[in-house]
Amino acid sequence: MGNDIENIITIKDLRMDYGEKDILRGINLNIGKGQIIGYIGPNGAGKSTTVKIMLGLVEGFTGEVKILGQDINGQAEYKRKIGYVPEVADIYESLTAEEYLTFVAELYGVDSKAADKKARKLMSMFGIENVYNSRMTSYSKGMKQKVLIISSLLHNPDILFWDEPLSGLDANSVMIVKEILSELASQGKTIFYSSHIMDVVEKISNRIILIKDGQIIADGSFEKLKENSKEGSLEGVFNDLTGFNGQKDIAKDFVSTIEEV
Amino acid sequence: MKDFRVLKFLDKFSSIFEKFGIDYKVMRKIVQIKLIMDSRRVPTVFNNRSRRKENTEGEGSVFSKPSLVYVFISLIMLPFLFIKANYDFCMSFVFGIAMFMIMTTLIADFSSVLLDLRDRNIISSKPIESKILSMAKIIHICIYIFSITMSLTGIPLVVSLFRHGVIFFIIFLLEIILMDLLVIMMTALLYLVILKFFDGEKLKDIINYVQIILTITLTIGYQLIGRMFDFTSLSAVFVPKWWEYFIIPVWFGAPFELILNGNHNIYNIVFSILAVIIPIISIILYLKLMPTFERSLQKLDNNGEDKKSKSKFTDKLANVVCFTKTEKIFFKFTSDMIKNERDFKLKVYPSLGMSIIFPFIFMMNGNRNFSNIGSGKSYINLYFCALMLPMVIMMVKYSKNYKGAWIYKVSPLKNTSDIYKGTFKSVILNLIVPIFILECIIFLFIFGIRIFPDLILIFLNMMLYTVICFKAFKRALPFSVPYATGKQSEGLVIIPIMMLLGVLALIHFLATFVTFGVYIYILVVFIIDVIAWKFAFSVKI
Repeated sequence: MGNDIENIITIKDLRMDYGEKDILRGINLNIGKGQIIGYIGPNGAGKSTTVKIMLGLVEGFTGEVKILGQDINGQAEYKRKIGYVPEVADIYESLTAEEYLTFVAELYGVDSKAADKKARKLMSMFGIENVYNSRMTSYSKGMKQKVLIISSLLHNPDILFWDEPLSGLDANSVMIVKEILSELASQGKTIFYSSHIMDVVEKISNRIILIKDGQIIADGSFEKLKENSKEGSLEGVFNDLTGFNGQKDIAKDFVSTIEEV
Repeated sequence: MKDFRVLKFLDKFSSIFEKFGIDYKVMRKIVQIKLIMDSRRVPTVFNNRSRRKENTEGEGSVFSKPSLVYVFISLIMLPFLFIKANYDFCMSFVFGIAMFMIMTTLIADFSSVLLDLRDRNIISSKPIESKILSMAKIIHICIYIFSITMSLTGIPLVVSLFRHGVIFFIIFLLEIILMDLLVIMMTALLYLVILKFFDGEKLKDIINYVQIILTITLTIGYQLIGRMFDFTSLSAVFVPKWWEYFIIPVWFGAPFELILNGNHNIYNIVFSILAVIIPIISIILYLKLMPTFERSLQKLDNNGEDKKSKSKFTDKLANVVCFTKTEKIFFKFTSDMIKNERDFKLKVYPSLGMSIIFPFIFMMNGNRNFSNIGSGKSYINLYFCALMLPMVIMMVKYSKNYKGAWIYKVSPLKNTSDIYKGTFKSVILNLIVPIFILECIIFLFIFGIRIFPDLILIFLNMMLYTVICFKAFKRALPFSVPYATGKQSEGLVIIPIMMLLGVLALIHFLATFVTFGVYIYILVVFIIDVIAWKFAFSVKI
């Protein structure tokens, strides 16, 4: 394959286990420049683990992970090109957004004054400029999520790893983020994100990867995925491919259990 | 952003860090952020509705005011500076006390710093080499430890300058720094070894147990220092034995003897070398191993399989000791929380360990003659078992997941009294009664069945003491206040409260001289207990 330069991310036979439990069982992926990749799968399928491995947060995997053509093992410098929104909103809450954002930007090597200006601007576009100097303990879940999104963009990265970027956001903000994603992709940035909101994934991804039990079980555009399934929506495809169709029965049992008391 | 004097001081050594290949600017930034966070108390869930005023705090109280508790404890060291004895005798004692205090503080308060997992997601995902993060962590801890050490050894240092002169002072100061480093590294290396071999939930439990064992070991070791010198003659003579190589404070006593008294025997030389070399080796070892440490930390995130569902024993116990439904609910809730909250265990269990051994230590110190101990009144020492009560009562209101306390507000609970009763009954039965029964059995063997009424009296007094502690501390609903690293604002209250326990014990002791005195005391305390438990817990939050 002569397209190593075009491939921003290459993963070969990635395996990972926590003790006796296998998390990833052979992931193979090539991701090109400018793609928006929706990474979906049931809880515990290994989505976050994949992302964390690519960021060097989890070690002890086998297989090969290359980002921008470089093997990531033991490296730190490649992270300068990556923006990361973690799945759990891990954040130093006792800091103000100003302190946190300039801190993170400085870790990426961005000048603190420039970062401050940029961060304030981005906060105001998200409509939360008024709390820029308040501690994040008082923030709502959505506000924290916005701060995390901003913190992943201040250094103008080439690749974005967004793990559940939409969690806690209201409908309007989801729309803004969706637009931002397509805009960033059109600027040539590669976006790798995971989400449980299927209709969003359906609309904005130009490639969808479905993972289950640590293996990729579907990979392609939404149109391609639809061909292999008789369902019309990504939600349907998702249920179809993950072999889940008992929702009606479970719901019935659930409600009847509530009414027992 | 706020700058810290400590960091400005640190700036002077920036070139040393650069030499080790550490990006000083980035490291400084991380430490600064950590210090800012520490200087802010997170508001509790119930009073954060009013917007907090920003930037009102000074430089975290740990730096500005020396912690009074430590200053108080440091006074204990002073007599050893005036004793007419070998330097290695008194200085071993001084370092024994200091090491004990620092190590227990480090374990109780800074394990959470060493084992912080947020750093992984927030900092490790950025282009930061892991050794910079490790170094930042260690500097962060050092800053605290040195500030505690300053409160702890400040007065003894000044006194030593006037009493023993400049050279003594310099040796003392240098050794304190070496000791601090050694203590920090020992703790970190210990964790590293544990992290290497275990993972997940089990690991956290093991850390807990190691902490408890360590605390007990330190306490016993502290006793050993006292015993290795021959007290029979006034000028305590140092009689070295092979196992003393392992008692670290003795190392630090030796250089004084070697340099100031010119006592060149082999023990002094070996100990002095150990005192200097071992801290340095441990630092190098630590720097080498820290990346492994960080890597192993990911195991902490990995939760193991479901535990088997809990026994029905707690439920049965709740039915026996609780009288209302609310009490029962909180009895079970507290039992579950203290079994699962690691931070709670971390802070409380070491003091439980102490309360197991304290009665024996004080009993032995009081009685040099073991043959007639059984007929004496040293069983009063069992009151030392209750020394952990204030700590436990104080800690039960803290939780890492303090935000979960919204549940109190939304649930239809009317009476705080039952909440507290259930909580304290659970704490007493789960933590204190097992220890107390164990001690009682041992004491019954030593003193015979005649002390049985006294044991009942001690237990009743502990119940009364629970209420006193509750009244003395700031009140909050159980598990509703966040922990604050490095600050124990209530620590000072503990000392007068401990003295109150002494008063209860003294009355008991005096009552033993009166015929039926103990029985009358039992009756009186029992009535007070009933009344106190009925009314004391009805408070407004």
